[in-house]
Amino acid sequence: MLKIKDLHANVEGKEILRGINLEVNAGEVHAIMGPNGSGKSTLASVIAGNETYEVTAGDIFLNGENIEDLSPEERAHNGVFLSFQYPVEIPGVSVTNFMKTAINESRKAKGLEDMPAKDMLKLIRDKSELLEIDRKFLSRSLNEGFSGGEKKRNEIFQMAMLEPKLAILDETDSGLDIDALRIVANGVNKLKSKDNAVVVITHYQRLLEYIVPDFVHVLYNGKIVKSGTKELAMELEEKGYDWIKQEAAV
Amino acid sequence: MDLKDKLVSSFLAFENNVDVHNPVHDVRTEAIKNFETKGFPSRKEEAWKYTSLNSLQKIDFSIFPKKESSLEYKDVKKYFIHQIDTYKIVFIDGVFSSNLSETTHDGVDICLMSSALTKPMYKAVIDVYFNKVASKDESLTTLNTAFSREGAYIYIPKNKVPKKPIEIIHFSTGNDVALMLQPRNLIIAEENSEMQIIERHQSLTSNAVLTNCVTEIFAAKNAIVDYYKVQNDVDSASLVDNTYVDQKDGSHVKVHTFSFGGKLLRNNLNFYQNGERIDSTMKGITIIGDKQHVDHHTLVHHIEPNCESHQDYKGIYADSSTGVFNGKIIVDKIAQKTNAFQKNNNILISDKATINTKPQLEIFADDVKCSHGCTIGQLDEEALFYLQSRGIPKKEARALLMYAFANNVLESVSIPELKVRINKLIANKLGVNLGFDL
Amino acid sequence: MAYTEEELKKELETKEYEYGFYTDIESDTFPIGLSEEIVIAISKKKNEPQWMTDWRIEAYRVWEKMEEPDWANVHYEKPDFQAISYYSAPKKADPNKKLEDVDPELLEMYKKLGISVDEQKKLQNVAVDIVVDSVSVATTFKKTLAEKGIIFMPISEAIQEHPELVRKYMGSIVPTTDNFYAALNSAVFTDGSFCYIPKGVRCPMELSTYFRINQAGTGQFERTLLVADEGSYVSYLEGCTAPSRDENQLHAAVVELIAMDDAEIKYSTVQNWFPGNKEGKGGVYNFVTKRALCEKNAKVSWTQVETGSAVTWKYPSCILKGDNSIGEFYSIAVTNNYQQADTGTKMIHLGKNTRSTIISKGISAGKSQNSYRGLVQVSSRADNARNFSQCDSLLMGNECGAHTFPYIEVKNKSAMVEHEATTSKIGEEQIFYCNQRGIDTEKAIALIVNGFSKEVLNKLPMEFAVEAQKLLEISLEGSVG
Repeated sequence: MLKIKDLHANVEGKEILRGINLEVNAGEVHAIMGPNGSGKSTLASVIAGNETYEVTAGDIFLNGENIEDLSPEERAHNGVFLSFQYPVEIPGVSVTNFMKTAINESRKAKGLEDMPAKDMLKLIRDKSELLEIDRKFLSRSLNEGFSGGEKKRNEIFQMAMLEPKLAILDETDSGLDIDALRIVANGVNKLKSKDNAVVVITHYQRLLEYIVPDFVHVLYNGKIVKSGTKELAMELEEKGYDWIKQEAAV
Repeated sequence: MDLKDKLVSSFLAFENNVDVHNPVHDVRTEAIKNFETKGFPSRKEEAWKYTSLNSLQKIDFSIFPKKESSLEYKDVKKYFIHQIDTYKIVFIDGVFSSNLSETTHDGVDICLMSSALTKPMYKAVIDVYFNKVASKDESLTTLNTAFSREGAYIYIPKNKVPKKPIEIIHFSTGNDVALMLQPRNLIIAEENSEMQIIERHQSLTSNAVLTNCVTEIFAAKNAIVDYYKVQNDVDSASLVDNTYVDQKDGSHVKVHTFSFGGKLLRNNLNFYQNGERIDSTMKGITIIGDKQHVDHHTLVHHIEPNCESHQDYKGIYADSSTGVFNGKIIVDKIAQKTNAFQKNNNILISDKATINTKPQLEIFADDVKCSHGCTIGQLDEEALFYLQSRGIPKKEARALLMYAFANNVLESVSIPELKVRINKLIANKLGVNLGFDL
Repeated sequence: MAYTEEELKKELETKEYEYGFYTDIESDTFPIGLSEEIVIAISKKKNEPQWMTDWRIEAYRVWEKMEEPDWANVHYEKPDFQAISYYSAPKKADPNKKLEDVDPELLEMYKKLGISVDEQKKLQNVAVDIVVDSVSVATTFKKTLAEKGIIFMPISEAIQEHPELVRKYMGSIVPTTDNFYAALNSAVFTDGSFCYIPKGVRCPMELSTYFRINQAGTGQFERTLLVADEGSYVSYLEGCTAPSRDENQLHAAVVELIAMDDAEIKYSTVQNWFPGNKEGKGGVYNFVTKRALCEKNAKVSWTQVETGSAVTWKYPSCILKGDNSIGEFYSIAVTNNYQQADTGTKMIHLGKNTRSTIISKGISAGKSQNSYRGLVQVSSRADNARNFSQCDSLLMGNECGAHTFPYIEVKNKSAMVEHEATTSKIGEEQIFYCNQRGIDTEKAIALIVNGFSKEVLNKLPMEFAVEAQKLLEISLEGSVG
């Protein structure tokens, strides 16, 4: 599904990613953990094609295809979904209208007709139930005045609507109370299948109790310094990141 | 003879008393020509739409005071912020009073414009700064430039901070039936320097006074200038204040204007941001009544990127008073990442009072955050009732609410004694005796 | 790679004005130039009564002494008023006004414009009075309206059939002496619409007029007079387009609305005159005077979507004379390339408890200049007047300008006036967020602009809103910030 080879990336001339190697296969859940400033969010943005970040070396393959030259929307059309750490507000654009546009644009890219209105409505109804979202919420302006929890739930709702192949959840657990966390995780688990993959980026182990990873990677100083299974996450929770830093320093 | 003709012909008399070979005089000659062409502004001009100078022009002002006067400190002490020690530059009927003043040359220059314009040691500075930011075509500014001779000269060198705040006070004694004054101030804050200035114009009688004042302020890199204008003159005194501020990288200039009295007050406050990371702040409280007229005219020109400006003007208008607020923000094409904010809130407390406000944005850059808001309203009746129900008499309750309305402008006043003084003036103006120390 | 700004710019440049075609209908056009004789000739051509002719002459004499105003924030070459033809009527216009009799080429033109004079529109319950160049050629639904006592006809006909109404109200809100362009219009107007809604009648359908400038070198001076009698209601739609031409065309219209006690008028405009090409050549000068009088408890709402014209000068206003009357102004003004717009409103509060709302959304792109100019005036007798104004500007690109000039004059202590204005741009984060969801940059901008304009779009009648939304997209295509 996703293969990253020796990826280096800069932002404003400063190197953030210093040689990332990662392979994610369909049906897998990967967790990327690491202390603040280790490059986790940068990695997510680079995969999604944010041009604020400059890729200086290395390659990203999606289903065997190098996506270097693809625009963010083309990557989205190919099944990449990023749940933003800080979703932006778009005043006056309702959640429904936004989703309708997004789905139809993706369909257009695939040469499909617009989704018929009644199918769209049904899809919205099903997915909002899955995430326990109030229908009134859907007519509000996108992320405007949303609480932290509402924003994150809205992100996962969009993921459910767009049915991506590769979902990257960037700090989706931050700002969530325990109930919201459970709803969000539950949504992600229901969307998981043998055909798609999920990359969970998180600072804490908390979310991983709900979304159980097959693999855990520790990112430090722009590199994956340690990989393991979910036990690694527990170990990190217990011991913190210092020992990783020391190991990396050696 | 109308006032304009009188001024133009007085220029010849003026020339007998100044050194016409001084290069400064070329500037004056050019300026009087401009004034002669333009004359006094009329209401047909957009900038003077709401303020008329017609009635002032009918008064037969003396252009030069007839005789010199002196004052005793004890008689005028109340006009100073006497609770603290300050440098003082004091003028009586436009003439420097060494008796009341405390100037200095100790590391900084806090002295007289007349010296700066004539003595060779200041020539280099005058060449660089005099009349460089002041408008060369706004008519009242050119009029002032033509007659520029006296005022305050303040030069703070790099990394210096004067030991105490500076007070500039102009008294008029009423020796003339009607007197026109044209003080000219030049204030230079070199890199990383800091200063606090309080300026006041005070007439001591009911004879007419018209002051047409021009102040040029230059704030070099990272300099901080904190300027307070206290306008609480008698009903026969009018003031047109023209302040021009030139700011360089990282400088912070704040101008607070407290307008509580005078017949006609017109404040032209112009900020030019010639650098990055500049902060310009303009705040004002206006509380007037009777037939008083206060017009605040501000301009912030954002010329370079990454700068901020903040404007906050509050006004309370009673009786037949008139208030004008005209605030303009210009953001040039290259001035990206500008944050410019402007607020103007007004309360009318009489049926005969008028407020005209015209906030104005002219934006040519796209990556900016600019906003202006203005409101005109009344005191909150429910809040008033609430206070009364807690036993506060209506008059005091109203005053308290008005005070609360204007209060946030005072937060940025950095001289505590001045803040106390302004608080007292507000209480006095609102006709109550409350220890406002909120 | 992502769609670059360069590519977008290129695409925009090659995008021609969609409605820029010229229909070859034989026109009956006057020689160019303006004189008292021409004014009389226009009046004669239209078989007008003497009082009308006199009124025009008086207006002409006033105009002759006036100077073209230059206080607006627009810069253009002043039109040569002697180089304009002041009358142009399609020759084949049928006096019986039956749709079947209309020149088929004309109908084809409407079709291209997306105006359906045909069944489709009828089903949608719209009565249309179409003004091509200056003469009204087709009025539908006249009968249904007549049953309710509603008069909706070209103003030239109204002058013949209802002279007492026209004479009473024309010029009562916008006097001939009001301003340069209003005076000119009063002297030379060739047609326009007249509408009268009787007491207590709720007009059962949206009334609609389409204006279009066709003939080269013709100025269009239409005149609209709408009288809503006590307790009546009407919603009126006005749409404007012009074919692309090299020279500038002048459009100086006058619209007068009278809302009597308890009456309500909704007046919606979608203005899409030719804006000129990407070099700023050609385009329409749109100098319009629109004003409404509100009597007791009356309400007038102006809604406008302004995407066209090279130069716009337009301030739909409300005189809130009656107690408890309400004025509203909702506006979207889009400028691109070299367009200049100076538009806004005046809310004159004279009566007690009068209320006004101003929502203005300006979007500037290309090298355009977009200004909001407004006046809120509260007179000393207007107790408890309320105004709320919100002016938001969106800038796209770094060669355009957005300006706000709100004037607020208050002489009454019980007034509450609030004005807010903001200027912003479309954020890169917003675009990336949309991109990540599979929405390309251009579509993302359209989406964001629509969101920005939503408060105003929502005020338009449904079908107009859809059209307006499309116009916004077309006007801004490729102008990425």
